[in-house]
Amino acid sequence: MVKVIGEGNNGPGTTVGVNVALSGTLKDQNDIAVYGMVEGEVISDKAVVIGQSAQVKGPIRGQVVTVSGVVRGSIDAGEKLEILETGKVFGSIDAKDLVVHSGATLVGKCSMPTSEEEPAATEEEKSGQDKEEKSEEEEILQPEVEEV
Amino acid sequence: MYYYILESPASRAVRQSYQRLRDILTSFGIAGEMVTSSPARTPEELATMGLEKGYSTIVAVGGDHFANQIARSVIGQAVLGVVPINASRLVTDLIGVNSLRGAAEALKQRRLSEVSTVVAEPDTVIFLEAVIQPARLAKVNLIIDNKLRAYAYFNKLTVDRALNLTLESSHIVEQRRILGLFPVGGNVVKSESHFHGRSVRLSTDPELNLTVAGTAIARTPLQLKLIPSSLKVITRRGTLV
Repeated sequence: MVKVIGEGNNGPGTTVGVNVALSGTLKDQNDIAVYGMVEGEVISDKAVVIGQSAQVKGPIRGQVVTVSGVVRGSIDAGEKLEILETGKVFGSIDAKDLVVHSGATLVGKCSMPTSEEEPAATEEEKSGQDKEEKSEEEEILQPEVEEV
Repeated sequence: MYYYILESPASRAVRQSYQRLRDILTSFGIAGEMVTSSPARTPEELATMGLEKGYSTIVAVGGDHFANQIARSVIGQAVLGVVPINASRLVTDLIGVNSLRGAAEALKQRRLSEVSTVVAEPDTVIFLEAVIQPARLAKVNLIIDNKLRAYAYFNKLTVDRALNLTLESSHIVEQRRILGLFPVGGNVVKSESHFHGRSVRLSTDPELNLTVAGTAIARTPLQLKLIPSSLKVITRRGTLV
């Protein structure tokens, strides 16, 4: 039997060090940590960490996103977004769970998906609405009869 | 039957190890043809001769660079066995043994593992780990999978057989000078980056050697390509690699 070493392993994740400048789409199925400069998309199926020395110009997408550097672009966090004291975000954010620490900067629109639906109408309101709708329908359906 | 290629012995101790290995292999009943490399007969030539003789398993007996040379010759044509002598942990971790007897037992049991390799075009194979280590901070330009460009300064760049790249750097910032001449103090900034891909274009400024165990195997600029599951290697049974 032959054993395959390393199959199914998508690498140990990506780390962009302090003195690295990067441009293009940085995509990884594992964690991504950025401490340098990135110009382009940062996409991970797991966690994205933007370190204190990092500068990212482009959208970020990940399950858990932690920002302690500068991000100029939108952030889409599937699970959680945490902006630490030194973090600066200039762009819209979309996160299920959001933590913004004191001292952090956030300039942009924020949207959070919610499971709550709009309050359901009461039975009486419903029946009232039905009646109104019916009468409107009746008026429309009534044949125009001219009296002779 | 196995075809054993022995690295040219650098010391008396190595020669004694070879004799001990012969005895162990004979006692296990797996002593095959043994040849020793020399300046007249390179490891690649010997491996080619073994393949021409019809051997399906070539065993490299020696260190990291030697194993890498044999791997380059047998890739896609035969199974590679390794008996580590003066080899680093890269070899012993891969095959799961660090002794002559352990290696001989592994050869006898013949458990095969498929490993990926990296080809530095045109024909240099990285089976273990290759390193670029400039004397001073150098600049590197990487193009990963034709979609990601990276520029960095580094002191050490490591490429492994799965095309994982590690960039290490260490430099001093905010250094002061006494009388404008003698540098003192400063903070050391250490950086480590990890990338991986299926193809990497690598160029450095200045041009540098890519080495395996201190021996140059190629020179930048390089086009590196991952060849998944390209080499069958004999490893120890029950080893988690």
